[in-house]
Amino acid sequence: MIIKKLVDIWKKTGTVACVMLLVCLALTLGSAITRGPYLLVNVISAGCMLSLVAMGLALVFGVMNIGMFAHGEMFMIGTLVAYFVASPFQNLLYEEHPGLMVYLAPLLAVLAAGAVGFVVGVLVELLLFRPLRKRTKGNWVMNSFLLTVGLGIILVNGHQIIFGANYKAITKYLPGGAVDILGVYVSPDRLAAIIISFLVVIGFWLFMSKTRLGTAVRAVSQDETGSLMVGIDLPLIFTLTMAISCGLAAVAGATLHFMYPSYPSVGLEPTYLSWFVVILVGLGNTTGAMIGAFMVALFKVLTVEYVGSGWDHVVPTALIMLILIFKPSGIFGSAVRSKVDQ
Amino acid sequence: MELLKNKDVLSPFSRQLHKICMTPLGLAGLVFLLVVPLIPGVNAEYIMRWLTLAAYFAACTIIFDFTAGFINIVNFGFMAFCGVGAYCSSLLVIKFGFSPWLGMIAGGLLSGLVGLFTGVITLRLRGIFAACLTWFVGLALMGLCTKLIFLTRGQSGLSVPKLFESSSNIPYYYTIVVGILICFMICSFLVRSKMGLAFKAIGQNMEAAQTSGVNPVYYRVVNFVISCTLAGVLGGFYAHYIGILTPDILHTSRTMEVLAISYIGGRGSLWGGVFAAMPLMIGMELVRSSSSDLPGIHLMIYGVLLIIVMIYFPGGIAAEYYSLIEKLKNIKLVQWATSCRVND
Repeated sequence: MIIKKLVDIWKKTGTVACVMLLVCLALTLGSAITRGPYLLVNVISAGCMLSLVAMGLALVFGVMNIGMFAHGEMFMIGTLVAYFVASPFQNLLYEEHPGLMVYLAPLLAVLAAGAVGFVVGVLVELLLFRPLRKRTKGNWVMNSFLLTVGLGIILVNGHQIIFGANYKAITKYLPGGAVDILGVYVSPDRLAAIIISFLVVIGFWLFMSKTRLGTAVRAVSQDETGSLMVGIDLPLIFTLTMAISCGLAAVAGATLHFMYPSYPSVGLEPTYLSWFVVILVGLGNTTGAMIGAFMVALFKVLTVEYVGSGWDHVVPTALIMLILIFKPSGIFGSAVRSKVDQ
Repeated sequence: MELLKNKDVLSPFSRQLHKICMTPLGLAGLVFLLVVPLIPGVNAEYIMRWLTLAAYFAACTIIFDFTAGFINIVNFGFMAFCGVGAYCSSLLVIKFGFSPWLGMIAGGLLSGLVGLFTGVITLRLRGIFAACLTWFVGLALMGLCTKLIFLTRGQSGLSVPKLFESSSNIPYYYTIVVGILICFMICSFLVRSKMGLAFKAIGQNMEAAQTSGVNPVYYRVVNFVISCTLAGVLGGFYAHYIGILTPDILHTSRTMEVLAISYIGGRGSLWGGVFAAMPLMIGMELVRSSSSDLPGIHLMIYGVLLIIVMIYFPGGIAAEYYSLIEKLKNIKLVQWATSCRVND
């Protein structure tokens, strides 16, 4: 029984995934001689961030059939909110005896960013997608996708016009020097980012699997008509999905604000990488998105480390193209074609 | 609808024009474009420059619409393919002393080749995945152009020989108007052919097309390669017109402009983008020059327009025009106003 299940999983994920994982592992081990542990920390923190963003993208895609092109802009909103909440406390950080407020401020920034992202998600659903859903007859996937393209342009340029194009950054959230973990020095901010994203992912998973509302969201993603028949309030679920996914991206932006200072096009990289992840693992697959996020983070970090910083658009694209030659529906995707095929 | 489908409703003159994919109104538009530089006052150099750029964008929207409107693949790397043509053409001219015209054609061929590789890999995917992958390819190409400094001189820019000796914009303007005409002719003849039928079938319902024995991947790739080739030629023209090349011309935000204009004009119409490009581009130039303290405001206007078009007028200007004609009662007026709907 167990063997049969294992064979099934093997068939599903395919040999490509395993080969790729082995290659990645070999690369990481090979790099371990000099800077391996630091790269590993980079991969984990980038992967945590990316999994938050990509999970939201995959969720929106699975439930609402929207290819969200403006997802990185939600990340940008997160960094912006974090900047405005956390920067007033920056002077406190550099005093000798930081109070409790210094530890509280980053938490506040992350929570505020999540809340703002949530509200923006609700607004986007109510103002844009609901009218579109009422009016559009066919070709929903393409129309909604282009709508989000327009939304992305507006948010990026709105940021530029209102807040200016300069970098709005804080150097660090938490006081204190690097923490020694098994001989690797990790900055407390990075550690906090990893912990926060783990907590958020666990919270998200609990919400999706244990609560009634989460079950309803999953039901809608499986079959819209069926869930309508059992009395699920579709508009509510759509709004909630959009809000959660935007909130997740904003939380990722706020936690990583020390790495990504807020400027208008800061969302480009998260959008680009999270789309990468979603294409790599196949559509609407939130669990797969989490695994894929770490793979893409690995690609990116290794490229920046060994090839050079400008090449991180080129090498991962080439790799993903290679994978798609062998498995066009993504490494966790099934060959079954779905309604978003057009 | 029935009225439009019937070719007998066309006047004899329109019927002749219909054979070469033209209409009385299209001809009038073309004559207008040709006459504009002769009007005193309009032919100031800076206005001619705007018009030339607008015409370049108009030509781009035709080609963009050829993929986006018919096989329903949004090519987010469109400007990157233009840029490949531009870089190829200017490097050939600089390093090997090619004539710019030959360089433009070579640039088109290289761009088509890149498009072929991209298409074979990406166009097996679902619509928006393919769109995103073309975007990644575009970003990768831009990264290449920035990083291959020994060839492209990176961000410091490559200075390119001009197409004509004179510094006036008029010859460039006429060249690109002819370019618009050629692009339109090629695209509309293709759309009208048997292959065009396959394109439309794939764009409307891929399952049905597949069931009828149309190979979607083959036709998508053919369409994509044609569009990339033409884009490369246009990119070559742009390089030899502007005279300086930086990797920024491969940037996605420029593709967004083409995308917005093309969808405002109307998807699947080919002429809608041309019609929308002239007023939009010139209006945007005015906005940009009058509010230089607000950088990016013109892109924001494009974004708002794109959203409004998507929600309220999904067919763009072209569809509004067609529905207007259907309401006309006067048969003479209908005869003249009925454009060859490229779909028929």
